[in-house]
Amino acid sequence: MTLEIKLMKNILGANDEIAAQNRKMFSERGVVVMNLMGSPGSGKTTLLEKTLARLADKIKIAVIEGDLFTAKDAERIERAGVDVIQINTAGGCHLDAPMIQKACTSLNLDAIDLLIVENVGNLVCPAEFDIGENFKAVVLSITEGDDKPLKYPLIFKESAVTLLNKIDLLPFTNFDLKSAREDLTTLHPTIKIFETSCTKETGLDDWAAWLLGKAAR
Amino acid sequence: MHEATLAENILNIAFEAAEKNHAAKIFKIGLTLGEMAGVEVEALKLSFDVLKKNTPADGAELAIRRVPISATCNKCGKTFQLERYNFFCPECDGILILQSGRELLVEFVDCE
Repeated sequence: MTLEIKLMKNILGANDEIAAQNRKMFSERGVVVMNLMGSPGSGKTTLLEKTLARLADKIKIAVIEGDLFTAKDAERIERAGVDVIQINTAGGCHLDAPMIQKACTSLNLDAIDLLIVENVGNLVCPAEFDIGENFKAVVLSITEGDDKPLKYPLIFKESAVTLLNKIDLLPFTNFDLKSAREDLTTLHPTIKIFETSCTKETGLDDWAAWLLGKAAR
Repeated sequence: MHEATLAENILNIAFEAAEKNHAAKIFKIGLTLGEMAGVEVEALKLSFDVLKKNTPADGAELAIRRVPISATCNKCGKTFQLERYNFFCPECDGILILQSGRELLVEFVDCE
């Protein structure tokens, strides 16, 4: 006999449950968590290095590095003198809440003000997985093209802030800054936008000050 | 390619429901997917077809219902269906707050 079972069950429910546990744990321990996302090569790790250089003497920061196979990024961050935990996803395209929960067991959360999670380089999957963060940030580099916000709307809709990175390369590309900003704000009217260059050191002080304000809450 | 993860979760939800209802065979799984959910339907079907092999859902098909993006103005309170991703209110200077379009749900499981 045929049976139709009505469910209406969230496909990502198991992940979201752990994410809620993470969020509660972070809030109880007084840690603000940023989920840093962006394409491979958009400059997430370099931006992170520059950010740590500006903030590491003001607040206590720890980093979780998501990477497919290597510890290359974690080694770079370690040189900045902050605690770093490496998660290798072994080909997995995103970090999920259970991975963050596990990584946090080797961090002293009480001694941390800001936890930065550098996600796996990808504009699609990380946006769908809540890890228990306070807010998401997405790095879009100029060489990726100005059409990306509307091609990957979810990640830009989910992120509180977008960094238009490698802004020094603007004169060498056909990237339309006005159009990119318009697309970002129509998609997400309250999104915060920074224009940064890690090689020319522009826009980084404003970004770091904004992040400090978020972490100090 | 997180569609493999989604397909795995879908199957696990279906297995659990079938087991609870003492059903041995699953032949249809109904999904509700928002237009703005980050899911590639073709990739999801492909993953599902690979993962269902030699399970109680071996012969199962996916019935997918898409939910359009709708959003409500935080000022005038009107609700609109969005064709493009424009979250400014077309009738006043308010901002549209997403109401639907992010769904990722297993709606029903047909089994016996």
